[in-house]
Amino acid sequence: MPEPPLTDAQLIARVLVHDDRHAFSELVRRYQSAIRATLRRLTAGNHALADDLAQETFMLAYRNLKSFRQEARFSTWLYRIATNAFLADARKRKEELLGDRDADVADADGGDDGQPESAGPDPTRASALRMDMDRALAVLSEGERAAIVHCYHNDLTHEEAAQVLNCPVGTVKTHILRAKVKLRSQLAAWATD
Amino acid sequence: MSDRSLPRTGAGDDWLEALLDADGAEHRASYLDDDGFTARTMSSLPAPVTLPAWRRPALAALWAAAGVGIALALPGAVTDVAREVMRVMLGQPVSLTGIAAALVALGAMSWVGAAVALRDD
Repeated sequence: MPEPPLTDAQLIARVLVHDDRHAFSELVRRYQSAIRATLRRLTAGNHALADDLAQETFMLAYRNLKSFRQEARFSTWLYRIATNAFLADARKRKEELLGDRDADVADADGGDDGQPESAGPDPTRASALRMDMDRALAVLSEGERAAIVHCYHNDLTHEEAAQVLNCPVGTVKTHILRAKVKLRSQLAAWATD
Repeated sequence: MSDRSLPRTGAGDDWLEALLDADGAEHRASYLDDDGFTARTMSSLPAPVTLPAWRRPALAALWAAAGVGIALALPGAVTDVAREVMRVMLGQPVSLTGIAAALVALGAMSWVGAAVALRDD
């Protein structure tokens, strides 16, 4: 009979006690999709940067695994590291990022006036929405974007999002309210759908 | 979103809520293929700290050599200290045989202590 897969806690214990690289690689394999997808959202669709930050996230997780107290889910702890890595990177290259974003938005606009993006000859609604959402998320501040991504895309509660963002729950709610005001304007073309 | 207690930003906010929910559901349902990400990440981790196999016997030999060296360099002091320790512990004068026995016992304790100190972390 095949053995049941090890739990996160068992894998973490193996890493901590025996420096078991195979156990850690299993944790990376388990969470790479969620972390990379989250970072893609946070970076407003910059896949290369998202993967770099995801790699940094797992490296930091490995180095600081001893400090993980298992009070929260491992995924929540990873989201926190990923968000911190994203915010630190955004601060570091704020000017550069804003320049790239402006260029991207100008290129992508292509003369349309805010209509839902056509991803190809026969785009699905989901892919068109994803592209427009990425573009709309790029307009938000980093904090607002992180709050939206964690609460709506990662389905965290406000309390969990507050843990991830290391801020009070009230701040998360404020971020979401402000973000939604901006998103309403950015995604206005979808209002009639 | 799990927590629905947020106040609305306007009367016509339902379409935005539905849009965010739909995009969030699509986000959670999609899975990014690994495409070598795990291998790249693992190769970027710091190299494991592997101590050489000779570390333990070498350290034990060094401690033993240091003990013998001290005993040879300061024979009178070692004997005096051992005699006084035995006198305090047993409350009576002791012979050289007793001191030798005590040294053997102390040596054994040192080896046990060293073994504990050198065990795998």
